[in-house]
Amino acid sequence: VIQIAPYGPNRVEAVRRFNRRVAATGFAFPERPAAACTLAVEGDEVRGAYLLYPQRFLIRGEPVEVAHYRLPLSEGSVNRAYVGIGLQLLRHALERQVRLYALGMGGSHQPLPRMLAAAGWSLTDVPFYFKIVHPHRFLRGIRALRSSAPRRFALDLAAWTGAGWLVTRLLQRRVRGGGLEVVEGFGAWADVLWNESSSGYGGLAWRDARTLDERYGDARFHRLRVAASGWAVVLDTPMREDRYFGDLRVGTLVDALAVPGRAVEVVQAATAYLERRGVDVVISNQLHRAWGDALRRAGCRRGPSNFVFAASPRLAELAGDASDLHVNRGDGDGPIHL
Amino acid sequence: VDSDRIVTTSLFERVQGIAADVFDVPRRRIAPDTSPEQLPVWDSVRHLSLVLALEAHFGLCFDPEEVGRMTTVGRIAELVAAKLGDPAPR
Repeated sequence: VIQIAPYGPNRVEAVRRFNRRVAATGFAFPERPAAACTLAVEGDEVRGAYLLYPQRFLIRGEPVEVAHYRLPLSEGSVNRAYVGIGLQLLRHALERQVRLYALGMGGSHQPLPRMLAAAGWSLTDVPFYFKIVHPHRFLRGIRALRSSAPRRFALDLAAWTGAGWLVTRLLQRRVRGGGLEVVEGFGAWADVLWNESSSGYGGLAWRDARTLDERYGDARFHRLRVAASGWAVVLDTPMREDRYFGDLRVGTLVDALAVPGRAVEVVQAATAYLERRGVDVVISNQLHRAWGDALRRAGCRRGPSNFVFAASPRLAELAGDASDLHVNRGDGDGPIHL
Repeated sequence: VDSDRIVTTSLFERVQGIAADVFDVPRRRIAPDTSPEQLPVWDSVRHLSLVLALEAHFGLCFDPEEVGRMTTVGRIAELVAAKLGDPAPR
């Protein structure tokens, strides 16, 4: 019999054994006990686990408590005797909070999103946008496209002849962002912006100054204030043998907020900032249509997305149209792998 | 739920029929000791579909602990019987 249990210090070794058994999934559960962790146990062994992070959203202008359902891992992924654990974990999480969401998950074809869809959750791809800044380096370095010898040849040809440069310049607009200030943190101005802008969305995670300082306090984040328009958080990451980006230098528009109608100024300023720093490509995942429009106007193109937003039935019912939600790589567990 | 029919009809056969539909296999392949290890199509998504189908058919709701005891079709039938107040699946 599989029972649900909290993760105490007495289970650390069992979690390590569990992680070794499910290593083929490519995921591992945190080995340090925390309040967010819940385990499915069978005697002395751990057979499944998940994390649950309570979070406050603003939905249709009202504060709402939701929770991020993260990293559910089941021994059923590697041992068919335990295929029921995924559902057991999900039901346990829903008993604690009916308004759950999951994010990322590698695409809707993966086992977890498939199970969530079967359970009646609402799944939406969070669109992926990109802008090639240095076509030569991009075409030589992009691993996701260099998957076969003919493709590699075509991309090398485009890179060395300059055809790639010409095509990308024709397809993409150059932008000039102004009124930008790199800030140490989010102050009262960010709270003013939160109050002015948050009701413009069908729903979004809380983004007042305190929340933002907690979330983006790490030195690797570049916090940008765009005068009279909003703010953006970006990353400038030199990749190393990344499965998608190889060794490219990737600029990511992680998160942003703008007063209604001013998203394009924020995107243009953030994109220009990353271009000046010398990134090879700028990327972003943005669900809300206003941010998608702003990215397109800043010269970005849309590509295939493997980043999925899944809302439990009760959350989906409350939130309504998914394209009216402001969701991006700053949500969930933040910009991992970037 | 039509409780008279539950008493007069083999509960296991009803669970067996639902499982056969969900797994898209002939009924004869579903025995009381049939488990996910024996039935290749019984994955986590089909397991969820089976539980939802049983809940809809019998008007039940299984809690997480009960889901954790669903290791064979026979055990699932026992759980259904217990929740319906039927002493044992026949």
